[in-house]
Amino acid sequence: MAVFEVPRKATAGIAAAPAARRPRLRGALASGRTWVGGALTTLVTGVAFLGPFLAPHGENDIVGAPYSDSAPATLLGTDYLGQDVWSRLLAGGTWVVVTAVLATLLGMVLGVAAGLAAGYARGWADEVIMRVCDVILAFPQIVLVLVLLSVAGPERWLVVVVVGVSHAPRVARLTRGMTTGLATREFVQSAETLGESRTRILLRELLPNMSAPLLAELGLRLTYSVGLVASIGFLGFASDPSAADWGLMINENRLALAVQPWAILAPVLAIAVLALGTNLIADGISRAAAGADHTEGASS
Amino acid sequence: MPETHSPPPATPHAMKRRDLLRGGALLAASVPAAGLLSACSPNRVAPAAGRPVRGGVLRVGVSGGSAKDTLDPHNPLSYPDQARVVNLYEPLFHHDAAYRLKPFLAESLEPSKDGRTWLLRLRAGVEFHNGKTLDARDVIATLRRIVDPKAPTAGATSLSVVDAGRLRRVDATTVEIPLKHPYALLKDLLAQYSLGIVPEDFDLRKPVGTGPFAYKSFAPGDRSAFTRFDGYWRRPAHLDELHIIDFPDDTAKINSLLSAQIHAIDNLPPAYIDMIEKQGGQVLISETGSWNPITMRVDTPPFKDVRVRQAFRLIVDRPQMVKQVLGGQGRVGNDLYAPFDVAYNSDLPQRHQDLGRARSLLKAAGQENLTVELVTSGGIGSGAIEAAQLFAQQAKGAGVKVKVRITDSATFYGDRYLSWPFAQDYWFTRNYLPQVDAGSLKTSPYNETHWNDAEFNTLMDRARRESDASKRNELLKAAQRTEYDRGGHIIWGFKNQVDAYAANVTGFTANRNLPLSNYEFRNVSVSG
Repeated sequence: MAVFEVPRKATAGIAAAPAARRPRLRGALASGRTWVGGALTTLVTGVAFLGPFLAPHGENDIVGAPYSDSAPATLLGTDYLGQDVWSRLLAGGTWVVVTAVLATLLGMVLGVAAGLAAGYARGWADEVIMRVCDVILAFPQIVLVLVLLSVAGPERWLVVVVVGVSHAPRVARLTRGMTTGLATREFVQSAETLGESRTRILLRELLPNMSAPLLAELGLRLTYSVGLVASIGFLGFASDPSAADWGLMINENRLALAVQPWAILAPVLAIAVLALGTNLIADGISRAAAGADHTEGASS
Repeated sequence: MPETHSPPPATPHAMKRRDLLRGGALLAASVPAAGLLSACSPNRVAPAAGRPVRGGVLRVGVSGGSAKDTLDPHNPLSYPDQARVVNLYEPLFHHDAAYRLKPFLAESLEPSKDGRTWLLRLRAGVEFHNGKTLDARDVIATLRRIVDPKAPTAGATSLSVVDAGRLRRVDATTVEIPLKHPYALLKDLLAQYSLGIVPEDFDLRKPVGTGPFAYKSFAPGDRSAFTRFDGYWRRPAHLDELHIIDFPDDTAKINSLLSAQIHAIDNLPPAYIDMIEKQGGQVLISETGSWNPITMRVDTPPFKDVRVRQAFRLIVDRPQMVKQVLGGQGRVGNDLYAPFDVAYNSDLPQRHQDLGRARSLLKAAGQENLTVELVTSGGIGSGAIEAAQLFAQQAKGAGVKVKVRITDSATFYGDRYLSWPFAQDYWFTRNYLPQVDAGSLKTSPYNETHWNDAEFNTLMDRARRESDASKRNELLKAAQRTEYDRGGHIIWGFKNQVDAYAANVTGFTANRNLPLSNYEFRNVSVSG
C-alpha cells in the first residue's frame, strides 16, 4: 500500500499541469476578438435557426418577376425564379450551419482519436495511421469531397461524413504532434507507472492538456467547414435543389450580379460573416493558448 | 440553351445529340409557313437607320466554343461554329427570317411522278471564294461528303434517303437526285445550314464556299476572321471584315459589349434587357419555335396511364412558366410542337392549369399523393432547371410531390438518356414532319417519351407519301390531335431569341432561325 501511496502523491503533484488550461480559456474569453467573433457567429446562427420562422414568404413562393430589385413586398428583391431573396436568406442558413458544425465535430472526434492513438502508441500503429492521413491529405479537400459526393450522390449525411473525414487528417497531425510531446512528460509516465489504463491516460492525462490548441483548431476547422459546405451548395450538391441554401443561392443568381446584386451579396455576406466569426473565436483561443504557453515556458 | 453553358465533358452520345439539336434547326415544313414574322413577334428590333455604311470591322461575341471548334461546313457543333458556317457556306435551300422555305443555291427541285427521282436546277453564275463557278459536280461531291460512310457528318442521318451512289450530273447546273424510297420533303432536308455546298476539291485547311464572307484566319476556342467576298452572287456585304469571338462565359460577353470591345452578342439573358437598353445598347428579340418540354415516358408507370399524363398537363401553369422561367421572353405552348408549320393544329383548345381536374384524374388513376422524380440538368439549356423547379412547386397544388434531381450533362445525356421516366429536353425550331422524324416515332433517334401510337404512326406514314399539300396537312393535324390527347410531352412554351448589339450597329432584324439574325451579317454595318 505504502508503495502505492508515494507515486499517487507524486502523480497528483505533477498532474497539476492540466490546471494550466483554465487560465488559457479565461484568457481567450478576455480577448475582444473572441467576443466579436462570438457575437458575429451568434448573429448568423440566430438568423439560420430563427430565420425560417420570421420569413415573410415561403422559400419557394413566387412573388414577382425574376431578378427584380423593386418587386413589391420584398426587402432585397427577387431571385432567378422570382422568389423573395430575403425570405430565402432567412430560410437558407440552417443547412450550412448544421452541416458545418456536425462535420467539424465529426472531423475533430476522428482526428483527435487517430492522433492520440498514433502519438501515444508510436511504432507500426503510428506509421499506419499517419500514412493513411498522408494519403487523404494528398487530395485537395474540395476535390476529395466532390469526388465522393459525385459518386454517392448529394445526401445530407454524406456531406457531413465526407467533410468530417476530410478534416480528420489535419486534426490528427496536430494531435499526434502534441501527444508525442506530452507522452514523455513526467505526469504521463507517472500514470503509466501507476498502471492506469491506456484509455484513461489518453482521455484524462493527455487530452485535457491539449484542450486549448484543440479548441483553436475546432474554430479553424469550423471556418473551413462553412466554406466547404457553402462551396458544395454552390456547386449544386445540395440534397434538395429547390430548397433555399446560401451556397446554392450564389450559384443560382450569379448571372445577374450586375442587375440584382442582392440575390448574390446577401448569401455571400451571411457566409462571410459566419466564417469571420468562427475564425475570430479560433484566433482568440489560439492567441490565449499561445500566451499561456509562453508564460508557462518562461516560468519553467 | 445548352450553348450558354460551358461545354460539358460530353459522351459520344451527347455529342450526337447536340449535333442534331443544332444541325436540325433549319429543317422546314413541306409548305412555307404562312405567318409573317413582323406580324407576330418582335417588340424590339433594329430601328430603320439611314444608309448603311460601307467598310469597317464587325466584332461579334458568340456563346460557347472550345478547342473543338471547327470550320467544317457539315459538322458545326457550337454556336461559334454555326456563325462561321453560315457566313462561309450556303445550302441549296434555306429558311428566310419568317421560317419560310426558299431556294438558295438551288433554283428549283422537282420530283418525278413516283417521287423517287428529283431534278435539281442550280442558280447560274454563282462563284466560290476562289473564283471557281458552282457546278453540278460540286453539289454531287458535297452530298457524297455529307453521307460518306467512312466519315459521316451531322447531316448524314437526315440525308440517308438520298441514294448518293447514283447521283448524276445532267449538265453544269442540273443534278438528278435518286432516292431510296419516295419522300415528299426533300427540300426541307436540304435546307439545313450544315449542308453548305463546297467545291469538288474542298480542303478544310483552306475552306472555300459561296457565302458572303471568305476565310481569313481561325484560332479554335478563340476567334476567327473573315473578309467580304466581292464576287458574291447577291449584293456583297457592307463590312470589310467580320470577326467572330468565342465567349464561353455570359458575364464576360456582356461586359465586352458594354465596354465597346465588341459590337454584338448572341443569347443575352433576359434579365439584362433593361440594363443594355439603359446603357444605350440595342436588343434584338426574335420569336422562335424552340421548346423545352417536360417528357413523360408513355410506356412506364406512372405515366403509362394516360390519365396521369393528362393530369400533369393540367398541373402546369403555362403563363407563369413563361413569365418566371423565360423572364417573359416567350409565349405559351399547347403541348404541340412545330408552331410555324402551316399544318400546326391551332383548332385545338388552349390548355390551362386546372388543379381540380388534375386531382380527379389522378384519383381515377389511383395515383393520389403521387411522388415522382423529375430528372434535369444544366446541360439541357438555360431555363431547364428553373422550369423543373417551378413545375415541382405547381405540382404541390395537385397533391403531387415532384423531386427535382439535377444531374450533370454527361450523366443526363449518358447511358440513361432517352430512358428517364420523367425528364426534360430541348429542341430548336422545326416543322412538324421533320420533328416527328427526329423525336416522335419508334425509329426516331430521340424519342424521349417512347411514343409509339398505332393511329399516329398510320397517319404519319400516309402523310409522308402524300404529295398533295392540303391533304397532307389534314393528316398532320389529325396526328397532332393524338399527341394532344395522349402524348407524353408537356410543352408549356416557346422561347424568344434575345440578342444585343451596340448603338452604332445597324442591319440586324428579327429572325426565327439562329441567333443574331441567323448570324447573317451581310446587311449589317458599323458606323463611327
